[in-house]
Amino acid sequence: MSKTLISARGLRKSYGKRNSKFEALRGVTLNIHEGESVAIIGKSGSGKSTLMHLLALLDKPTRGEITLNGHPTARLRAHKLNTIRNKKFGFVFQSFFMNANDTVLNNVILPLKIAGVGYRERHRRAVSALKTVDLDDKRNNKASDLSGGQKQRVCIARAIVNDPKVIFADEPTGNLDSATGEKIINLLFKLNREKGITLIIVTHDQDLANKCERQINIKDGRIVSDTSADAEQDDDGDEEIREIIAESEEDDDEDATPDKFEGDNNIDGMLDQKHPVHHINIDEDEEDL
Amino acid sequence: MKFLDIIRDANANLLRNKLRSFLTILAIFIGSFSIISTSAIQAGVNNFIDQQVDSYGGEGYLAVVSKDSFDALEGLTGAMGNGNSTPIEYKEDKIQDGMTPITNEQLDKIKKIDGIDGDSLVEQKSLNISYVSSKKTDKKYLIGAEALPPGNIKVETTTSGQLDLQGDEYQIQLEKKYVDVLGYTEENIIGEKIQLVVVDQFKHTQKTFNVKVVGVIAPGVISMGYSYVNNKTADDIYTENTKYYPAEYKDHVVAIAVNYDYKNHSAKEIKDKLEDIGLSAMTIDDIIGSIKTFFDVILTVFKIFGFIALLAAAIGIINTLFMSVQERTREIGLDKALGMSSARVFLSFSIEAISLGFWGSVFGITVSMILGNIANNIFHAEGGFLESFPSFNLATYTIKDIIIVTVLIMFISFLAGTLPARRAASKNPIDALRYE
Ligand SMILES: Nc1ncnc2c1ncn2[C@@H]1O[C@H](COP(=O)(O)OP(=O)(O)OP(=O)(O)O)[C@@H](O)[C@H]1O
Ligand SMILES: [Mg+2]
Repeated sequence: MSKTLISARGLRKSYGKRNSKFEALRGVTLNIHEGESVAIIGKSGSGKSTLMHLLALLDKPTRGEITLNGHPTARLRAHKLNTIRNKKFGFVFQSFFMNANDTVLNNVILPLKIAGVGYRERHRRAVSALKTVDLDDKRNNKASDLSGGQKQRVCIARAIVNDPKVIFADEPTGNLDSATGEKIINLLFKLNREKGITLIIVTHDQDLANKCERQINIKDGRIVSDTSADAEQDDDGDEEIREIIAESEEDDDEDATPDKFEGDNNIDGMLDQKHPVHHINIDEDEEDL
Repeated sequence: MKFLDIIRDANANLLRNKLRSFLTILAIFIGSFSIISTSAIQAGVNNFIDQQVDSYGGEGYLAVVSKDSFDALEGLTGAMGNGNSTPIEYKEDKIQDGMTPITNEQLDKIKKIDGIDGDSLVEQKSLNISYVSSKKTDKKYLIGAEALPPGNIKVETTTSGQLDLQGDEYQIQLEKKYVDVLGYTEENIIGEKIQLVVVDQFKHTQKTFNVKVVGVIAPGVISMGYSYVNNKTADDIYTENTKYYPAEYKDHVVAIAVNYDYKNHSAKEIKDKLEDIGLSAMTIDDIIGSIKTFFDVILTVFKIFGFIALLAAAIGIINTLFMSVQERTREIGLDKALGMSSARVFLSFSIEAISLGFWGSVFGITVSMILGNIANNIFHAEGGFLESFPSFNLATYTIKDIIIVTVLIMFISFLAGTLPARRAASKNPIDALRYE
């Protein structure tokens, strides 16, 4: 079995304070392996996007721990998190998220520009990403002039332009008709097969989910089923019990060495080796200016 | 992200909302324009005054009159001081418009004051010349001339000739405006003799002095249209003027000029010592002071106006950028989700603010320089109020002022930009992405 890329333990996420406090995630534990294609499915409001944002290091859990290649991420400095997202992750968001007034090419270039890649190099790579999604003839069009399916393909080009290890896609077909959706999906799976990119796809579309190797079903902030063999170890049947276990695991794990795999990939290089396993409760965004 | 990319993007963002950016820049422009223009005028005035002081022989010069004369002058004209003086009572023992002579006793004391160069003391004789003429014209013109004050004085001449002060020949440095009317050019008048004619006020006898022109004087504040003659000329004209004076008036000294050691003594110290023996003294700075004060007051008002405009402009920047942060919430969220650091977001908004400031000040400075040059030309043209002061550029733009104003405005813009920039930087990518 391939090595664990992202591992989440006892993830909880609550929004609001006191009276209006709402728990979107109530103890989620899972491991995502390299090269996997994972569907996160569930009803609207079940916490899929919230989970994806945590796994993608876009947000921090209220409680619980996320390790990347075995490294805990909670204490990582903001600029390290930024670098990981910028260089190793690709994002396809629920509703496109493009700079509508900018050209297609500039939209695709954005992650490279943020990374500080030189003008020629980023131009070349963006054009090649656009070729992958078959849109290089539209490179100088305004992004807002494209059709929905084309926009989503631009988003995929943007997601792959930095040669990511993982692509996080939130409802990539949500706004598309089924034929166009199919195209997008095929594109994503092709990347998964040919480049070994790990796919984490949030969807409530069962057909799309079935195409993934693994389906994680979420309900009210908890995993109710996971087709991974791995997951069976975590699945202790009763939700209440699992929650308790998840919490105690959290405590037990404090001094444990996280499972670290050999054959380092590049993500390791970005992680600070000096940070030991740590206390988990981090409510605040530590980013500094 | 590359710094150049940040600057380019910041300016592209400003161009996205052209009208709004333009209006903000316009506000900064007003502030920048007022401040650079006042600085330019101040520099122009100071430059000119320095030039005049230099040409007049610098800092050691003191013009001395009796305290009563000084008060009388002030009472008559208000020119020497604050202009609020009260009229002076008429007294029998005064001559020449109420001037009180300096006594021989006082003259002796002046020479003994520590810090005063007694040998440099000269009487400032007021010469009464009826008219000037030349062999090339029939016309006669009124002219004012006086002996060159003592010390290391150099009158700014357009041609370089200096007076032979102690010489036996009659010599004059002629005010420029007489050159033409006497039928010469600035070059060919040098070495020529012109006629200064003195008609006695009591007996109407007439005496002509053939005086050699050794130089042409560039007009200035200090010479005030006067020509300068050497001592021999001054003495002889003065003798002629006072020939029929009643005996008791003849030897009266009303005004003297003297040099003091300005390196080791302050003007104030020397003035106080002179005051103790009943004399009033003025330095070059005092003489020019009133001009300086006049400009300073006006310029301060404009400068304050400029700063108020800048303050308003700063609020404009804050407002513009807050709107921009609001509009670009999703974009900022995307940037941050894709790995842009908060510091970069802060920087890019700060640079937007600084760019607004930069363009506003460049715009203001450019327009001010164009108008300043036009104004200088108009003032120096015939009939302009600076026609007779060719070396006085009312608006003088120094590199230093331009840099100071630009940097100052960019800094103020940066400060104004920190508020919106901080808001942008603190946006959470998730919240920003949820924002509709
Ligand atoms: N910033 C927030 N503040 C308060 N509540 C939030 C916030 N973000 C999410 N929630 C709540 O958390 C729950 C899970 O939201 P999430 O976006 O993860 O759902 P989802 O499964 O992605 O739903 P959908 O399929 O509709 O996208 C929802 O009830 C939502 O209202
Ligand atoms: Mg969602």
